[in-house]
Amino acid sequence: MDRPVIELVEVRKSFVMPGGEERIDVLDIPEFRLDAGAHCALEGHSGSGKSTLLNVISGIQRADSGRVVICGTDIGSLPEPARDRVRADRLGLVFQQFNLLPGFTALENVLVAMAFGSGRADRGRATDLLSAVGLGHRLHHKPAELSVGQQQRVAVARALANRPRIVLADEPTASVDAAHQQQVIDLLRTTCTEHGVALLVVTHAPEVAGQFPHRLRLEDFNRAARTPAR
Amino acid sequence: MSLLGIAWRTIRQRLFTSLLTSLSLALGVALVVATLITAGVVKRAFASGGGLGYNMIVGAKGSPLQLVLNSVYLISRPIENISWDFYREFLPAAERPDGMAGRYAASVQTAVPICMGDYFRGYRVIGTNAAYFDRMTTVDGGPFRFAAGVNFRDDDFFGGVLGHEVARRLGLAVGDTFSPTHGADDGAVHDPFRVTGILARTDTPVDRGVYVNMEGFFLQEGHAKPLDGESASTTPAAQAQPAGGGGRPAPLPDAQREVTAVLVTTASIPGLPAELMAMGLKQAINEGRDGQAAEPVREIRQLLDLFVRPLELLLLLVTALVVIVSAIGILVSMVGSSLERSRDVAIMRALGARRSHVLATVLIEAVLLAGAGGLAGWVLGHLLVASIGPLITTNAGVSVGVLSGAPLAELLLVPALVLLAVGAALLPAIAAYRTDVARWLQGPG
Ligand SMILES: Nc1ncnc2c1ncn2[C@@H]1O[C@H](COP(=O)(O)OP(=O)(O)OP(=O)(O)O)[C@@H](O)[C@H]1O
Ligand SMILES: [Mg+2]
Repeated sequence: MDRPVIELVEVRKSFVMPGGEERIDVLDIPEFRLDAGAHCALEGHSGSGKSTLLNVISGIQRADSGRVVICGTDIGSLPEPARDRVRADRLGLVFQQFNLLPGFTALENVLVAMAFGSGRADRGRATDLLSAVGLGHRLHHKPAELSVGQQQRVAVARALANRPRIVLADEPTASVDAAHQQQVIDLLRTTCTEHGVALLVVTHAPEVAGQFPHRLRLEDFNRAARTPAR
Repeated sequence: MSLLGIAWRTIRQRLFTSLLTSLSLALGVALVVATLITAGVVKRAFASGGGLGYNMIVGAKGSPLQLVLNSVYLISRPIENISWDFYREFLPAAERPDGMAGRYAASVQTAVPICMGDYFRGYRVIGTNAAYFDRMTTVDGGPFRFAAGVNFRDDDFFGGVLGHEVARRLGLAVGDTFSPTHGADDGAVHDPFRVTGILARTDTPVDRGVYVNMEGFFLQEGHAKPLDGESASTTPAAQAQPAGGGGRPAPLPDAQREVTAVLVTTASIPGLPAELMAMGLKQAINEGRDGQAAEPVREIRQLLDLFVRPLELLLLLVTALVVIVSAIGILVSMVGSSLERSRDVAIMRALGARRSHVLATVLIEAVLLAGAGGLAGWVLGHLLVASIGPLITTNAGVSVGVLSGAPLAELLLVPALVLLAVGAALLPAIAAYRTDVARWLQGPG
């Protein structure tokens, strides 16, 4: 259990400012690890690079330099299609909003995720996952017919569709009202615990971050964030 | 859920736009298919004249095209008649009362007279003799075949033969009688003729003809040429006794006879090419004052060159335009939804979809839209033609069914449309391919 599922070494990421030669450094991380099955909250001021970090981990964006090792694979050296494959099979993603495909039902949203992974699309498993998040009676509802909280629950179920080793959540409770915020966090934590999945949650809410056994501030290990951007 | 399933879902998600796109496509294709078939049918109808059992038509001086349209296609305004004496110049000695061969007999193999001007329930009545079906050939070069009954005999003055279409449409059978009307359909009603036979289908204008013994035809009111000095209203010299009456009536005297045209098959003599023989005969006739000779194949070809070819070109242009407009329609509808699409693409990519998956779903969507619209249009076009088919049949003498025609252009239409749709969809597909996932995951904007 002590082999990390995420391991970043000397990772740098910078963006070219729109319409200029000037580059701004967003990530400069000497080292970052997340152990298998570990649950961790990630805080940091706005613009400190939290979303960028998650994108680099999930392979959506590529680091300029350094090693990004996911479950033993250095995705920094992989071509994009291979990174996509790793993301499909090893990672589950949950965002603040706009998680679901609006034209697809709850069940179909889970099935679509399965379609991009290596395994087959398994209706039974998709149904079980949705039932586990309390949406067994909303399988055939489109996102527009679900509350925001319910949509987030579908997103959690979908993140687990391909039996990932890691779930990354970027402010999953920011669009949910306070009453349902706890529900979503509990759901993420219990399901990830159940399946032995590592969980990295970005949050601005101290009461959310406080519930996690590990609680990190990005400024602490991202040298680029120590001087607030702009 | 397969890529096809995802594409299908995306179409359903934008059902209204998708339906409109496919519908506009379907209407365009239906239009093209219907026009293509109709043009093909019209062309075939005229081209079938090439398989006539005769190669020359002799009639009154005037437009050779009108002579051909009248005699071959049984359309256009009726034309003037030629004299009985002129007709007999085409007959061999054995068929002439004076026992001397006609002036043109040496160049002629068969000469069949036709008399026109009467109608029966919208169909043209043609007075002729038994030689029409006994000695001439039909489209395939073989003899005329009868679906029922036999040809009328020359001595059966009130016998007649019906074209296949006429018998079918009017529900007439062998043994039934029918009374043609003089001139137009509302003209005076003539004596009844008895059906002796019904021709097998030929897919030529013959199917639309009502053929009667011209001896009976001559005896009808208004058909006898007035003798010099007499008024036009003179009754025939002999009183007609129609079918069913006892005994055979006296035939109309030669002096009062005239025919509308003579269908001539020129003779072929060893050593002299048939074309030369025909050319010589035509020249000889056209130099005279009695009438003109027209070669139907030549007239038909000119007609095709003059009208049908340019129409075909125009049609091709219309087809191309419809295809292009359809492609633009697809492009517009797909580009229009690209904002929604960008978010969908970002979500799918976050789930692990590759760029190539995303590209494929957009192209599949275009193929589905174009394919469905194209096929629906194809079916619609054929149904359209089938529903107006009877109209074409009556006017062109060619039967048209649901699956009739399928010229190459038509078979290529739907695949071409799908290809073009894919081409048009490349723009939104590439946009989808290049979607900046990170940006769209933060929300639109
Ligand atoms: N594609 C891009 N091009 C240029 N700059 C970018 C791009 N993406 C992010 N940035 C910049 O990188 C910095 C970090 O952005 P990021 O979204 O990672 O911050 P964050 O910590 O998630 O902030 P928040 O808490 O507001 O979500 C910001 O200054 C942002 O402007
Ligand atoms: Mg962020």
